[in-house]
Amino acid sequence: MALYQYSWLILLSPLFAFAVIIFGTRMWDLATRQRVAAAAGHEEIAEAEEESDIHLMHEKGPRGEDIVFEDIEDPKVPRLTPGARISGYISVLIMGLACIYSWILLLNTAGVLSIAPALPSQGISLTQVSFGWCQNSFCQGLSSYYIGFHLDNLAIAMMVVVTSVSLLVQFYSQGYMENSAGYARFFSYLTLFAFSMLMIVFAENFLVIFIGWELVGLSSYLLIGFWSNKRAKPEEDRLSPASASIEAFITNRVGDVGFIIGIMILFANTGTFNFSQLATAVTHMDKAVLTTAMILVFCGAIGKSAQVPLQVWLPPAMEGPTPVSALIHAATMVAAGVYMVARTFPLFAAAGPAAFQVVAWVGGITAIFAASIALVQTDFKRVLAFSTISQLGYMFVGLGIAGTVYGPGPGMFHLFTHAFFKALLFLGAGSVLHALHHAMHREVQDMRLMGGLASKMPVTAITWLIAVLAISGFPFFSGFFSKDTIIGLAYDHGNYALYVITLLTSGLTAFYMLRAYILAFGGKGGGWGGLWGGAYRGEGEPHESPLTITIPLVLLAIASIAAGYWFGFFSYIQPSAPNLVFSNILSDWKTWLSVAVSLAGLAWAYTLYTRVDLARINAVVQGNATLRVLYRILLRKFYVDDLYDLLIRYVVLGISHIEQAFDTYIVDGLVNGVARLVTFLGRDVRKVETGRVQAYMVGFFGGIAVLAILIFALVAFVK
Amino acid sequence: MLTLNHFLVLGAVLFCIGLYGALSKHNAIAVLMGIEIMLNAVNVTMVGFAFFNTARPWSTYLTGQIFAIFIITVAAAEAAVALAMIISIYRKRSTVDVSEINMMKW
Repeated sequence: MALYQYSWLILLSPLFAFAVIIFGTRMWDLATRQRVAAAAGHEEIAEAEEESDIHLMHEKGPRGEDIVFEDIEDPKVPRLTPGARISGYISVLIMGLACIYSWILLLNTAGVLSIAPALPSQGISLTQVSFGWCQNSFCQGLSSYYIGFHLDNLAIAMMVVVTSVSLLVQFYSQGYMENSAGYARFFSYLTLFAFSMLMIVFAENFLVIFIGWELVGLSSYLLIGFWSNKRAKPEEDRLSPASASIEAFITNRVGDVGFIIGIMILFANTGTFNFSQLATAVTHMDKAVLTTAMILVFCGAIGKSAQVPLQVWLPPAMEGPTPVSALIHAATMVAAGVYMVARTFPLFAAAGPAAFQVVAWVGGITAIFAASIALVQTDFKRVLAFSTISQLGYMFVGLGIAGTVYGPGPGMFHLFTHAFFKALLFLGAGSVLHALHHAMHREVQDMRLMGGLASKMPVTAITWLIAVLAISGFPFFSGFFSKDTIIGLAYDHGNYALYVITLLTSGLTAFYMLRAYILAFGGKGGGWGGLWGGAYRGEGEPHESPLTITIPLVLLAIASIAAGYWFGFFSYIQPSAPNLVFSNILSDWKTWLSVAVSLAGLAWAYTLYTRVDLARINAVVQGNATLRVLYRILLRKFYVDDLYDLLIRYVVLGISHIEQAFDTYIVDGLVNGVARLVTFLGRDVRKVETGRVQAYMVGFFGGIAVLAILIFALVAFVK
Repeated sequence: MLTLNHFLVLGAVLFCIGLYGALSKHNAIAVLMGIEIMLNAVNVTMVGFAFFNTARPWSTYLTGQIFAIFIITVAAAEAAVALAMIISIYRKRSTVDVSEINMMKW
């Protein structure tokens, strides 16, 4: 059991790396950084910025005016200092060790290795690092407040995803962030992010999961806003990273309100935060209260996993560096919501059926909602953002319809496979953006400026194609197994409406993913019938990215295919669940129906984008009134963002103005009025203080005389 | 035959004389004397009440008398302090007229 008992090392190692980088190597980096003199006459500015590692670029504009660049590269850091490089090495090394450890745990519990006996199905508590917040005899009732960590198969599966994706993202960032200011700071944030997510993974009770939950929010805030000197680009409908990070944080906070109220309801009724104790305690709870509590807890997952109606933060979060997007979308941030629902699955199962209905329907609506928006996006990363929202919808459908027999297995299986191919999609996109940045010397994310990149960057293209096929559910790629299981389960469990929705969504997914692939890597006139190369619509000459970028792509491509072949996943998560059987999948008509829908989507995207010019497609869409309106609605994301904008601008700010008026005129008025009254009275009343002691004596004895007469009168007449 | 009322009337008359003196005199010494008279008026009342206590005879219950002794002691100390202050004020301002000693006003 020692193998399991020391698994807390996986949890604490990123924190250790964080501390080493923040207090050690980053300080070294800051101290030894060599600076190229900025433009002449700007010494003061350069000096003012000496202390921070956020840099604006200053240059003379055509009319001699100061231009502050919105670029992400720092000319004053031409080469990385040893301190910065070592920060990267430390985080990769430590995360690599944690990753190896978690893979050993996974292989051991899955029965491939046999170093230690399998874990008991309810998991084990990691008592070495558990900590009670109040443990002496004074706080009898407070014994439920403790920091506790816990390990079971669900945690191990998630831990493998988190550590593997974090490792690859960190390895990748060494190449991607090479020219970016604050290289060491970036790695410290990445390790903090991994630690926060692992805290959620290891959580034994709601308190710890909530701490991890907030830490994940904090680290995503720091990382999305990493390039804090970048400006908004209104013409591309892009926020500045600083606003995007605030939006992400605030939107999550909206969901967290429900989450924390749900936790409080559960605690008030059962007196415990512990998941395993709650599972038995909630059976005595009132069903309606429990259902409400679980729906409120799910609100937290809606916020964190960007489900409708709180999906608005995820597309702007693309403003962060691309490795961060990969991390957020694949392993750490948005997966937290799915993992939390999987972790509290017994509580949802104990609640009324409405709880699971809400989970499944929110997921289903989100899936088709986001997929339809992704159809028309032209921003390379934004397509991926909407596809993540859509795929997370699938996971919630999987969790919501699975029922107690399957347990959280189907949803978690999709999370598991999705993590690899979505990380691959993002890192591949990052590779493209990296190449285009070097080719065009500016940041380009618009797919209309790409095209035909496959012949220029073959490794990126082939791995991206694998990921596209995996996410589309192309047979024998990982998405085929995990997604079709969820779609099939919707049918098997009689939820035909959700079946149709998810089936349609898989067609849409296939369409927009292949569309994105062809727009970026292929095009009319390329090889393989337009899939490989074609006309390049941008400027400059992009090249394949360095090895630090392509190695993670290849590894993730292998995982994107292989992850689906873990047929024992369901019983690994929950021993009673039936496993996937390969022959059953092949002989089921539902599998082939959804494959047919996916293939239809792929075929439609293929014929549309390899046979027709992009300009021609736009002309047709603009020429047809229905298509034009539809296009407009989808491009504006069903006007949800605009609706929220109006809501906040007029309703929330309106209420704020009323409250501010109340504060200014009523509260402040009361306070100032009292003060004014006292001043006014005092101006005249102070004349009483004559300074003559006999006057005071008159008042004193006069008062006593009055009192005496009063008491005498009372005694004499009232009696 | 002396009764309690004799003592009370004496105390009241003395108190009023003292009060009049304390309020109307300009000389600080005279004011002080008024205050002393008021204190002694209270002493008379106190001792009178104690002496005519019917519930407990004065021979076994001396609270009133002891109170009076305390007041005499305090009055002596107070007189000493007050006279010292008056002398000090006189040295500074060459007057003991209380209507002129009014620096502590608004």
